Amino acid sequence: MHTFLTRGNALLTFTLSVLAGLTFFCFLSTALNAYSATANIDTVKVLVKNVPDYSAQKEKQDLGYLMFDLQADLNPLFNWNAKQLFVFLIAEYETTDNKLNQVVLWDKIIQRGENANLDMKNMNTNYYFWDDGNGLRGNPNVTLTLSWNVVPNAGTLSIVRGSGSHSFSFPNEYTNVRAQ
Amino acid sequence: MAFNFATHMDYEGQHLAEKLSHIIVVVFGVIGWIIGYINQQFSQTILVLGVGVLIAAIVTLPPWPMYRRKPLNWRKPRKEVTVDNTSKPEKEVVASVSKPKKKNK
Repeated sequence: MHTFLTRGNALLTFTLSVLAGLTFFCFLSTALNAYSATANIDTVKVLVKNVPDYSAQKEKQDLGYLMFDLQADLNPLFNWNAKQLFVFLIAEYETTDNKLNQVVLWDKIIQRGENANLDMKNMNTNYYFWDDGNGLRGNPNVTLTLSWNVVPNAGTLSIVRGSGSHSFSFPNEYTNVRAQ
Repeated sequence: MAFNFATHMDYEGQHLAEKLSHIIVVVFGVIGWIIGYINQQFSQTILVLGVGVLIAAIVTLPPWPMYRRKPLNWRKPRKEVTVDNTSKPEKEVVASVSKPKKKNK
């Protein structure tokens, strides 16, 4: 502490320690936050096709096709320890081969300050709804749910499933590929 | 010399400067945390802390007169160093080396 530079060094290092402490208390202030919200999901149009997935193998597999409506107000999820949300739509269903299949159909990044009140109609999926066999045609119970990661300034990356789901069934007949 | 001014603090001044800088930084950090929590903006916490660091730097980095009130009173250097001190240290060294050996045996 006897020269200008040693005092400056001590001040900066102490400041960094204080900043780490403040960040930790910021994390503590939001650690018990549940980050829950409700999502209203509906399907507009549901088709199933039987086509080869050339990226995997040449045998034909079931490819689901759907359009969906989604309403969810995620603004309450943001606080001073939430930088962005990673929102994704999951389809879950059971087949004879697998007790639980999970396919991510759509996702969206919502950064802090952006409009987080989702209200979308007739949305197409971002990703193909491939089954790893023929489990989609006539499947009576496919459940859509909305989940999100909350990306924090400090702390754990939480994964939350929103309340509210929509179940639908795929038609019993394949849709002709050319007819779309 | 135009720039011949002292830049050091005395010991108590150093202690005071360290204590002041800690107090200022912690107080601004706590205030910033509260402001950030109210407005739900952690960037405001960091800004307020930065202001506190600037103030602490202005207050405690330069050797202000308040840190120089109790200078050490150094004894003035002797002028007759050359003649007397040459012979005495040699005898003392010899004596000190020989005594421990006798004690150990």
